Amino acid sequence: MKTMKKQLIGGALGLSLALSFAAPSLALLADDHEEDSYLAIVGGDIFAGTGEVLRGATLLSKNGKIEEIGYELILPDGCETVDAHGMRVYPGLVALSATTRLTQGTFAAGVEIHDFVPHEEHSEICGDCGKSFEEIVPPALDPGEFSTEHLATDAFRTDFDDSFDPFSGYMVMALGNGITTVQQSSAAVKLKRGDISGVSLSEKTLTSQSWSGSNPAGKADLREKFRLATEYLADYRRWEEAVKSDKELKEPSKKGIDGRILDILEGRTMARFSANERADLLGIARLAQQFKFRPVIQGCVEGWTVAEELGRAGAFAIVTPRTRRDRSETTTHEGGSSIENAAILTRAGVQVAVVPANTSIDMGGISGRDLLSLPLEAGFAIRGGMDERAALESITVVPARLLGIDHRVGTLEIGKDCDALITDGDLLHYQTFVQYTVVEGKLVYDKQEEVFYSHIRPRPEAAVDPGEEVSGEVESVEVEEIVEEESDEE
Amino acid sequence: MKAPLTGLLLAGLVAPIALGDEPVGVQNPPSAKPVTRADEVVPEVKQALFAAKILTCAEQGPEVIDHGVILLSGGRIEAIGRRGTLEVPEGYEVHDLGSDWLMPGMIDLHSHVAGSFDINDTVYLTNPGVRASTAVVPRNPNLTRAVAAGVTSILFIPGSGSNIGGQGVLLKTGLHDYESMEIRNPGSMKLAQSGNPERYAWGVARSFMNYHTRETLKRGVAYAQLWQAFEDGTGPEPDIDLQFEVFRWLVPHMAQISAHTQIYQVVAESLSMVVEELSLPLFIDHGTIGAWRLGSEIKRLDVAAQLGPRNVDAPSRGFMGWSQNIQHEGWRGTAVGYQDAGVKDIGFNTDAPVMPQEELQLQATVAVRHGFRDEAMQAVRGLTIIPARIANISHETGSLEVGKHADILQITGHPADPRSAVERVWIEGHLVYDAEEKREY
Repeated sequence: MKTMKKQLIGGALGLSLALSFAAPSLALLADDHEEDSYLAIVGGDIFAGTGEVLRGATLLSKNGKIEEIGYELILPDGCETVDAHGMRVYPGLVALSATTRLTQGTFAAGVEIHDFVPHEEHSEICGDCGKSFEEIVPPALDPGEFSTEHLATDAFRTDFDDSFDPFSGYMVMALGNGITTVQQSSAAVKLKRGDISGVSLSEKTLTSQSWSGSNPAGKADLREKFRLATEYLADYRRWEEAVKSDKELKEPSKKGIDGRILDILEGRTMARFSANERADLLGIARLAQQFKFRPVIQGCVEGWTVAEELGRAGAFAIVTPRTRRDRSETTTHEGGSSIENAAILTRAGVQVAVVPANTSIDMGGISGRDLLSLPLEAGFAIRGGMDERAALESITVVPARLLGIDHRVGTLEIGKDCDALITDGDLLHYQTFVQYTVVEGKLVYDKQEEVFYSHIRPRPEAAVDPGEEVSGEVESVEVEEIVEEESDEE
Repeated sequence: MKAPLTGLLLAGLVAPIALGDEPVGVQNPPSAKPVTRADEVVPEVKQALFAAKILTCAEQGPEVIDHGVILLSGGRIEAIGRRGTLEVPEGYEVHDLGSDWLMPGMIDLHSHVAGSFDINDTVYLTNPGVRASTAVVPRNPNLTRAVAAGVTSILFIPGSGSNIGGQGVLLKTGLHDYESMEIRNPGSMKLAQSGNPERYAWGVARSFMNYHTRETLKRGVAYAQLWQAFEDGTGPEPDIDLQFEVFRWLVPHMAQISAHTQIYQVVAESLSMVVEELSLPLFIDHGTIGAWRLGSEIKRLDVAAQLGPRNVDAPSRGFMGWSQNIQHEGWRGTAVGYQDAGVKDIGFNTDAPVMPQEELQLQATVAVRHGFRDEAMQAVRGLTIIPARIANISHETGSLEVGKHADILQITGHPADPRSAVERVWIEGHLVYDAEEKREY
């Protein structure tokens, strides 16, 4: 598989005919771009994630980007190929709220440093690491003497690329279950294997805001921040116009304006609220409509009871379909969890992303609830009435959209990153395995080459046939090792 | 066999006497009005259910009937067959379920959610006299969700804080009072070999626990033998000891020991002590963390296994894992390990609320995903007839066969697929859940 092949595609196209076309174009390419790297996924049913399905088509990647999707493509010389005949091709999955186990890296960023206020909750700093503010801030930085100058020197900013382990076994497991992009804390991270360059797609994806019925003062405070920021933006726009005629006019002061709210209002980041209760969800919907931004609501357990309102507010919801929560005994209206939540929200126009109950990799022996079971979790949304296409989108393009990285990942479209899965069946079927994973045009996972799942329903062509010549020496040794391991255990 | 709750408490004080197939507690005082199941549950309406596919899970006869029909009468299955060949007699209410399937209600032999959670008292390290039946709360929210997920029967057992936590009770989940719910009490005696009772006190480790458990089991067996001798007319009437009454069900194999046992060495101890040495009926509960490597031994002793909620062994190379010294490298499904060894009866459990009760189905899902072969409907059987057989209630439930209780699910597809939703549930002919009214799961 990994051997470079000169291959021609297109069932109906004659081999010799194709060669005659291929040769000149290859020569041209070779002259112009000596270091271009190509990979083609050949002959699979391509589920682009946009609703389109191309049966038996080919996807060509050039330098990590999707160059072409279609039929009868002429592949450049030196193009690596993955044979996907009889298999399906899907966009790589985007896993939200992933723990640091996947990459072993601590991704901490996205905080507007100058807004950093001591003694408040700063989950953006280290995600769910459980550390207090004092633990995160080095002793030299006394919170009482906080200044932006200290912070500008990267005193506690983590360097993404340095904290990313490109050889993490956990990451390989994630790749083996179709995940190619994760959100960790406020960063969106590409799971590149053996490579740390450009793993960070975005360092400021979501900005956590709090809206809770148990904290009325906090709600009032947040509303005031939005009001001030909105006023500032209006002032600024007026000033922008006015300054054209009057150069002396002073720019409106940013003093007292929350930079993170500006980011939200100007679309540089999205506001994420953790909220489940109906009243809170309604409050967030109204806030969003009043100040004209699209909220991301994590949890959203009772969303199904106010789905229309959330839809009108243009909300995104991050839901776990299996979540259970009993209806509050103190209310008379509908409430509690519903397996139909994802489906009802989707029908109301809410963009629904699905996350499993456990967003880490469970090494304690409980499978079916962790990040490795992301498609299974989308299956529970289908159980509740979501259609299959929306379910696929809930783990691909919707999370990409709410992270603001859908121009790079989430669907298979020309110009986007070539992050693709080749599966032996319907991705949302519980028996389906990812056979190959491609990240940015590189084959980074082959089920039969890794120890994790190679023994489960092995891919037929991987079976060792003594009469068959194995192309590469290294490859043949690996195959034998797998066979030995299996026989040891029986 | 069925006694009202007040009678039950008394039944424990007085010796059960074996009559025919099943033990029968001494009947209530004559003044107490006996409540029979029949009074409570027999529906008036006779029903005919049409379905695209019926998974019967039958021991004999077809396992799958396409375009099938089931006739229900008196809370039981009156007839089952193919449409066209099985006539629907006059007076039956006909329900055409379209493209949906029918299958037997699912059975979970490891559940803690039928009532309050104060049944893990750990009074002593072994207290076989404690009864879970005293803690049952019918129609509690967990049971409602169980029904919505198609779990119609459970073994409600004490926790694993003691080596012998007490007696479980077999229940129908969706009926409205204890008397209707009870299938058998005692349903089992809960044995926890390792992995929790250690916290009872300092010094309680495996060797002491095994010593202590063995002594209790031996005393219980001796107690049952004394009563047997009395009943045979060869011995004096023994004093009643509530702690050991349950052994009068275990020794003649009328109830089983449900053994919380996992990890290779621990399961090996369960097998050698309980099955080989003391000849008590035991089924493996959990059976995870590498225990599948004992498969050939489990097969030799013809012991059944109820697996879950840990359902895989994680790769150990380069990772912190629970698999200890086991050198496997990939993700290993527990169930397929037993299957490869030829273990005949493999079922699934949730240990609810460790896993939500409604996720029983998912245990089969994970098993099949990780290599468990579903060719002969093994995954479906592991959710239905196999647990019924393990708990010795397969004459009443666990499959769709003539004469059995009408414990039936209407489901949109294969039960191992999480996308398949349970649409309706009947328990003993009663419609106890209808997703059209409100989908709970």
